[in-house]
Amino acid sequence: MKLTLPPRVSPMQFDAALKAFQGVVGKGWVLSSDEDRDAYSDIYAPGPESQWPASAAVAPGSAEEVQAIVRLANQFKTPLWPVSRGKNLGYGQAAPRMAGSIVLDLGRMNKVLELDPELGYCVIEPGVGFFDLYEYLAREKAPLWMSVPGNGWGSVLGNALDHGIGYTPYGLHARNLCGLEVVLPDGDMMRTGMGAMANNQASHLFPMSFGPDWTHMFTQSNMGVVTKAGVWLMPEPETSLELSFDIPNEEDIGWVIDTIAPLKISGLIDQNVFVPSWLGKIVLKGQRKDFWDKPSAIPDWRVKELLKEHQLGYWKVQIRFYGDENVNKAKAEVVKAAFKKHLDTPAHEVWWRQGEERNIYDLTVGVPTAVPLQMGDWVGGRSAHLGFSPVVPATSKHVLDQLKRSRKIIADHDVDFYASFTVGGRFANNINMLMYDRDKPEQVESMKTLFNVLVAESAKAGYAEYRTHLGWMDAVADTFDFNNHAQRRLNERVKDALDPNGIIAPGKQGVWPSVFRDQSKEGRA
Amino acid sequence: MKRVALLGLLLLAACNKTSAPAPEAVKGGPPPLPPYQMRAEGPKGDRLASGGDGEKLFSNHCGYCHLAGGMGTNLLTKQRMMAGEPPEKGMLTNRKDLTVEYIKSVVRMGKVAMPRQTRVDITDAELDVVAAYLAKAGK
Repeated sequence: MKLTLPPRVSPMQFDAALKAFQGVVGKGWVLSSDEDRDAYSDIYAPGPESQWPASAAVAPGSAEEVQAIVRLANQFKTPLWPVSRGKNLGYGQAAPRMAGSIVLDLGRMNKVLELDPELGYCVIEPGVGFFDLYEYLAREKAPLWMSVPGNGWGSVLGNALDHGIGYTPYGLHARNLCGLEVVLPDGDMMRTGMGAMANNQASHLFPMSFGPDWTHMFTQSNMGVVTKAGVWLMPEPETSLELSFDIPNEEDIGWVIDTIAPLKISGLIDQNVFVPSWLGKIVLKGQRKDFWDKPSAIPDWRVKELLKEHQLGYWKVQIRFYGDENVNKAKAEVVKAAFKKHLDTPAHEVWWRQGEERNIYDLTVGVPTAVPLQMGDWVGGRSAHLGFSPVVPATSKHVLDQLKRSRKIIADHDVDFYASFTVGGRFANNINMLMYDRDKPEQVESMKTLFNVLVAESAKAGYAEYRTHLGWMDAVADTFDFNNHAQRRLNERVKDALDPNGIIAPGKQGVWPSVFRDQSKEGRA
Repeated sequence: MKRVALLGLLLLAACNKTSAPAPEAVKGGPPPLPPYQMRAEGPKGDRLASGGDGEKLFSNHCGYCHLAGGMGTNLLTKQRMMAGEPPEKGMLTNRKDLTVEYIKSVVRMGKVAMPRQTRVDITDAELDVVAAYLAKAGK
């Protein structure tokens, strides 16, 4: 990819910045060839990758090096785009929101600094991936389980900081963060929570602080660079029981949510319950063309045929219990009785007991894998996906309302409908997966139009996305409009106070420093 | 085609029937689901220096997807079977037709579902060793 300089930075100034970075990290860890710029671009980009170009990358090996780079970036006015491992597939991967930003790749900082099996937490650097931590726990024989997202290739901290979700009782990953170490935009360093006291013994245990707790100021944020954090881990259960149900009809999602949500809120179900529609199961059976050979969306009559042929329900519900065998049995009886009111077919039950292998493809038992990304093979070619992910109240009224709306919009754009609801308690994350072949420009354009309509129409009804791709960060931030966008005005005031040179991740989540606010119209999908 | 479809069914079964015992191998079909494949530990010391153990570097850097049961292995198994080859050719370490230059190109430029790897993911020095290892591994 050709070099795009950061705004208002001359070629000489840029070159001087890179040389100064080399002085900190060594020549080999400043990456600025055309090939490097390609490697830091978004392979799922909805449109040309050159819409979100990095100018270079720099890879520090320690928090001290991060501080030095941030100070130099202020001196040379070269904005940085921090990534933990840069595997944010579907949301922009490692590519920056603002063209010409230099990727601050923290992948080399991959140490597990502390592990406490008794209290169930670890302290890790941003470059520690899900595979790394899983294997570290296994080698240490620590009786702890992680919560993993669909893409295990990424960073544990990166995913949590970007509000990623998993499917165990620890599935709200940002909630597992306890005690961050952060390099601020001027190169200063602070610790959140109890860690604000030097040598505090409960730095990664108590989830607040004395006075305001700043932890979540640094999630989905451009207010600092997290260089280490405490992460809570789940004790390995003695047993685990999974109940699964095939739910026959689309509209059944209403009673399914009304059945699961109260049990989740009461604590009887403690995991995040993932409820995917049929397409989530069939994408692994082959390619789309094997099931429907036309470019148009798969019509309802064909969907009915496919469900029958492959003995699938419209929805799949998998509920897992973790812990003592008798407790799990008792909890399962409550769930089975609740489902029996609506469904004649009994649950399929599978037990796991300590000492047994865990299924490597089952995200609910905390084993990292990248296999869910295999769904790209469904469309073939240079396949990619985007997720439209509004948060809805966990009641049938709201779930059906959002389902009908997105269903109609997606059908109007002649795109296959692939939805899931993940019940996290009082809310559900409704992920609508949109898959496309990047070699078919008309498909990409259609997907972009569709995404814009989904954001706008859902916002009108009172639902917003919790996370989005670079190209829609501003559009989604615009939907948070209470009191003339009071949240944006606060974010901008804080950003300008902490980061007057706009050095850290300008435009992240629609938060622009005043110095780069003129760039906000660029890079919108 | 039948064996390719069988692979799909096996994957689907694995995703549906969580924690069930690994299915028995079907004669002539793909291998049963393996347990979690531990990767070799990451290299210590200067990652920019040349040399190193190709098998370990491959396991550590490529093992996310290219050990048994990984995403890359699954997709390549399907691709190889469609080309009339046995399923074990989905493992890169079983291939006899790979060359150093081809491996480097795919790693840096990406291919279909394979994203481009940055020089933090795998340094040039590490890639030299991994490419040499894979070019010889199956021969």
